[in-house]
Amino acid sequence: MADLLIPLAQASTDLTPITDAGKAIALGVGAGLGSIGAGIGIGIIFGKEIESVARQPEMKDELQAIRWLGFALTEAVAFYTFIFGLIAFFLA
Amino acid sequence: MSTRSRVLLGAVGYLLVAILLGVLFGNQGKNEQFKPQDEFKLDPWISLKIGSIDLSVNRAVFYLLLASGLTIGTMVWISRHMQQKPNRVQTAVEVAYDLTRRNITGGNLEQSMAVKWFPFLATLFFYIWFSNVIGFVPLPTNTENEIHIFGLAVPTFAIYAATANISIPLALTLVVWISYNVEGIRAKGFVGYFKSWLPPGLEDMNPIGKALIFVIEVISHLVRLISLSVRLFANILAGHLLLLFMGGGLAVLLGLAALGALTFPMAFAFFVFELGLVATLQAFIFATLTAIYLGGATAESH
Repeated sequence: MADLLIPLAQASTDLTPITDAGKAIALGVGAGLGSIGAGIGIGIIFGKEIESVARQPEMKDELQAIRWLGFALTEAVAFYTFIFGLIAFFLA
Repeated sequence: MSTRSRVLLGAVGYLLVAILLGVLFGNQGKNEQFKPQDEFKLDPWISLKIGSIDLSVNRAVFYLLLASGLTIGTMVWISRHMQQKPNRVQTAVEVAYDLTRRNITGGNLEQSMAVKWFPFLATLFFYIWFSNVIGFVPLPTNTENEIHIFGLAVPTFAIYAATANISIPLALTLVVWISYNVEGIRAKGFVGYFKSWLPPGLEDMNPIGKALIFVIEVISHLVRLISLSVRLFANILAGHLLLLFMGGGLAVLLGLAALGALTFPMAFAFFVFELGLVATLQAFIFATLTAIYLGGATAESH
């Protein structure tokens, strides 16, 4: 255990690489995990729309407008995480 | 030669180009000089300072003026030159006008409100649409790096969008937020409006529960400020960053020429996606959500 801790203690005197690594992790993991949720959401929106059109083809035009609204609202969630990742990377 | 072998040959040739570039230039190490965030830097062109407030004219202001000029110019020109048999431009503008009138305004607002707020919503839609679209046209606005032609310093071509700067979507959002709240207060009275924030069906609830739900509703109304502005801002910024990185920024940053050969075609795909879908969709969403907020604030039942 002590063997593991000594290098860590030595490294902690200069924190810049660790901070940089943390920033990179914040951007990568944050934006990546955010995209998972939004990706699932967009998949559900388009899948359900296809199902609905297959069931009631006469509703196609009405569903199209709702689909784009849902798509844009869901897609924005991915970008919120991305922006906060960028804030962590460049401004923190 | 069959289609399959042609596709295979193309893919192999393409990979060979990437490998050749990789062999020729190799890994030149991480580039420390190139800073991607500088692409969005705002240099003051004309310095204007009133006290501590910086009112300098910079790239974003130029794009704002351009978008406003295009919005006003196009609409006035089209309305002055209406023809019985519409030409292509008139047809396109008529389709967009119809979208704002029937879909955005008519679908979300009551008749009296729709008449009152249609000009505002249509202007929002067209203004944001023009700001987004001119963001994908390369204009000589990059004063950071200048090229010298016969001793004359000419700014290099760059793409930038006013909506990729948080200030502009935030200013638009503030206008929307204040106007829907004011409109709600005008329609229902000060107390009545805040009462209407509570969803219906809570008449039997105890006051503490009602207060808790009211706090949640207050937060949701405040979050609209962030969500509406950041949605537009982040979409456009992410699109521009993606174009920057795919169109060579990543290769320059990492010093890998082979990577550039692989990412460059992606830039074309993303350009078409951004220009064809995101630019219009974000303008549509902004105007639609404004209409929904206005409708929600003034509708009789919540």
